Amino acid sequence: MSSYILELENVNKFFGGVHAVNDITFSLKKGELAGLIGPNGAGKTTIFNLITGVYPCDSGHITFRGEDITGLKTYEVIKKGIARTFQNLRLFPRSSALENVMTACQQHYNYSFLEAITHLGRWKSTERDIMMESLELLEKVGLADRAYQAAGTLPYGHQRRLEIARALALRPDLLLLDEPAAGMNPEEVQELNILIKDIHKTFDLTILVIEHHMELVMEICPHVICINFGAKIAEGTPHEVQNHPEVLRAYLGEEVK
Amino acid sequence: MQTLLQQIINGLSLGSVYALIAVGYSLVYSILLFSNFAHGGFLIIGGYICYFMLRSVGANIWLAGAAAMVGAGVSAILTERVAYKPIREKTNITLYLLIASMGMSIVIENVFVILAGGRFRALPPVIPTSPVNVFGVATTSMFDILSLVTAVIFLSCLQLFLTRTKWGLAIRAAAYDLRVAGLMGVNVNRLVSIVFFVAGVLAAVGGIFLSARYTLYPQLGLITIKAFIAAVIGGLGSLPGAVVGSLILGLAEMLTAGFISSQMRDLVVFLLLIITLLIRPSGLFGKEVKEKV
Amino acid sequence: MFGGYVDGIIILLCINSIAAMGVSLLTGFTGIFTLGHAGYMALGAYISSILIIKAGFHWLVAVLLGGAGAMVIAWLVGIPTLKLMGDYYAIASIGLGEAIRLVLENWQSLTRGSRGIPGIPIYTSLPVAVIFFLVMATFMFFLINGKYGRAFKASRDDYIAASLLGFNTAHYRVLSLAISAFYCGISGALLAGFLSFIQPIMFDMLKSTELTAVVVFGGLGSLSGTLIGTTIITLVTELFRPISQYRMLIYGAVIVLIMIFRPEGIMGQHELHPRLILNLFKKDKSKPAEGGKM
Repeated sequence: MSSYILELENVNKFFGGVHAVNDITFSLKKGELAGLIGPNGAGKTTIFNLITGVYPCDSGHITFRGEDITGLKTYEVIKKGIARTFQNLRLFPRSSALENVMTACQQHYNYSFLEAITHLGRWKSTERDIMMESLELLEKVGLADRAYQAAGTLPYGHQRRLEIARALALRPDLLLLDEPAAGMNPEEVQELNILIKDIHKTFDLTILVIEHHMELVMEICPHVICINFGAKIAEGTPHEVQNHPEVLRAYLGEEVK
Repeated sequence: MQTLLQQIINGLSLGSVYALIAVGYSLVYSILLFSNFAHGGFLIIGGYICYFMLRSVGANIWLAGAAAMVGAGVSAILTERVAYKPIREKTNITLYLLIASMGMSIVIENVFVILAGGRFRALPPVIPTSPVNVFGVATTSMFDILSLVTAVIFLSCLQLFLTRTKWGLAIRAAAYDLRVAGLMGVNVNRLVSIVFFVAGVLAAVGGIFLSARYTLYPQLGLITIKAFIAAVIGGLGSLPGAVVGSLILGLAEMLTAGFISSQMRDLVVFLLLIITLLIRPSGLFGKEVKEKV
Repeated sequence: MFGGYVDGIIILLCINSIAAMGVSLLTGFTGIFTLGHAGYMALGAYISSILIIKAGFHWLVAVLLGGAGAMVIAWLVGIPTLKLMGDYYAIASIGLGEAIRLVLENWQSLTRGSRGIPGIPIYTSLPVAVIFFLVMATFMFFLINGKYGRAFKASRDDYIAASLLGFNTAHYRVLSLAISAFYCGISGALLAGFLSFIQPIMFDMLKSTELTAVVVFGGLGSLSGTLIGTTIITLVTELFRPISQYRMLIYGAVIVLIMIFRPEGIMGQHELHPRLILNLFKKDKSKPAEGGKM
């Protein structure tokens, strides 16, 4: 059991009458790179929201590193070591790329209120360390030259990478990527593939990716989970899932006889 | 027992006047999603036009009232066109509209300070205030009965307008989503003007009754804070909520004034606000809007 | 130092600036729109005056306690009310500000009600005002330029994203409110020691509106903008005093015009940067950059 970093057990979520997440159970081993796929509206982002405490579960349990995190507040969940990116990008548009990353990075550094208002004591060295680490992360995703540009003015692909850098700054054990390739052309998707595999190795992360782009998921995720209408319909290797009749039906529809 | 009934009737009467103001305010909120702090300005415009017509022109209350309503309605349209339209065309940040409305409120109030002077004016007693016996159990004044009845009439007319006319339907659609209503072919600018006109008319009627009750002065618009609070208690954007909230507020004020103390009356209003916001911020009939993550 | 009248204006500038900085932190940097902060000035003024007159406290202690008192009340009130967002909190803040004023007006035994408290010793001299201003301005600039500033700004820009970065946004909102109340409390206490007389009506919604308007005028998210805005408004108010009726009218009109033509205010979200000034004069650029970019 200790090799499982994330376990979802019979998780359910209702929005009014809609059963958005239906008895979902799956587990991720530490260090995995897994994919979560399914048609639009299947409930994938909702699962991310449940894991990160944005919505409360109606029933079921979510365990992270052996600890029950069901019902914890969002910021508490993040502090446990989970980070995520967003389907629709949630950067701080008027702040610089560097400041965006530093805002996340500072979670692992500390100085007191008194030091904050006097800029004495540990302030200078701590701020310098935060900045250094943030610049390194920007370098890692290829944005070092845009560090001082306002995040909202960055090209779309760069914004996506910035969000990943910001999530990495939290030093998570589990990284949840919500459609990181959305809106990208095939070239950019390939670059992203390389980036994800790279950070997976370098930062020793467990990564769960929601994606529509089959090229990304099938190429880099050895473990794939497919859901439809809130329920899990298939789980296994990309090949297994790809050929599963339920999955085909979900994506291609019923055959008209 | 008699005092209780009296205070209840007083409370309902005051509440009905608040309702006229609160409904107009809520109507604007439901369409443009911002708190128009200048709403009180429409109120005093109505009050002053009525006063001027009664005193200087010697008109009767019906003519004066009509002039006040039209005047306030037109002023409301002008305010929207001059101050709010340019902002909402450029951005959807409602904060800017909020602040601009604060500015307009100051402008309107001070226009009257300059034009009419700050002193308190009593409206000529055209609205009868003679005591009336209610079911032989309590005495109240004709004034209270009249303000109650007038409010009911106007609110019923509003209800008919919203449910039975084409523009009323457009307004209800816009209250769900202004942009989509526009995409469906509704002339958004004209719709907004109509909404403001209606809000102005209602505020004017409220203003006439309030100035008759309390005397007229430029800062009378501050009473609209109580109407705002009523709208919040009832649920911002909900018209039935505005009415219910206003009645609750009127009753709370009068009962407090009658049984505890007159000074505590205002404090009770703010306490009700705080309690509502703490327990159920969306108010009695308001909708909770959850943000999509 | 410069002669009574000018001294008085500088003192008033310092007092207004301190309060404005408090509101700037809350509204400009944490994104919480308030229309009731005059209430915290009132608390500071009344607490310090009562402590001095009725309990014989030394003025400096009383002023600091005035600020602290305002801060504590803001903290207590803030915990439940800051769950509200946007317009709802703005309306709550009106209610809170007015409630404070009403309590002060009705608690006759303690505050003499609407008649006010006269005869407060004048301790806000020019050096006192300037020193308070400089110290508090420095603290504020430093606070914003660091991890707290980034936390406030994250809560402002996207509170959901902020919580997903591990920030307890509720905590930071309350902290921001408490600090802003402290600043307004100190400002009120200094005002009491300047005018020697305080009345609840001095801290009404108009005053609250003025505090917020000044911050918007200067630029939400710019501390130097707030200070510039305060300076302009205070000076203009003094200059227009002879035609004070028109003053208010102009004031309201200016607010509307700014929101139509330049809602981001004078400085927008930028701070007045030494580099900006240096570029203007094309002087020596070897001076290291300050806060600005952060």
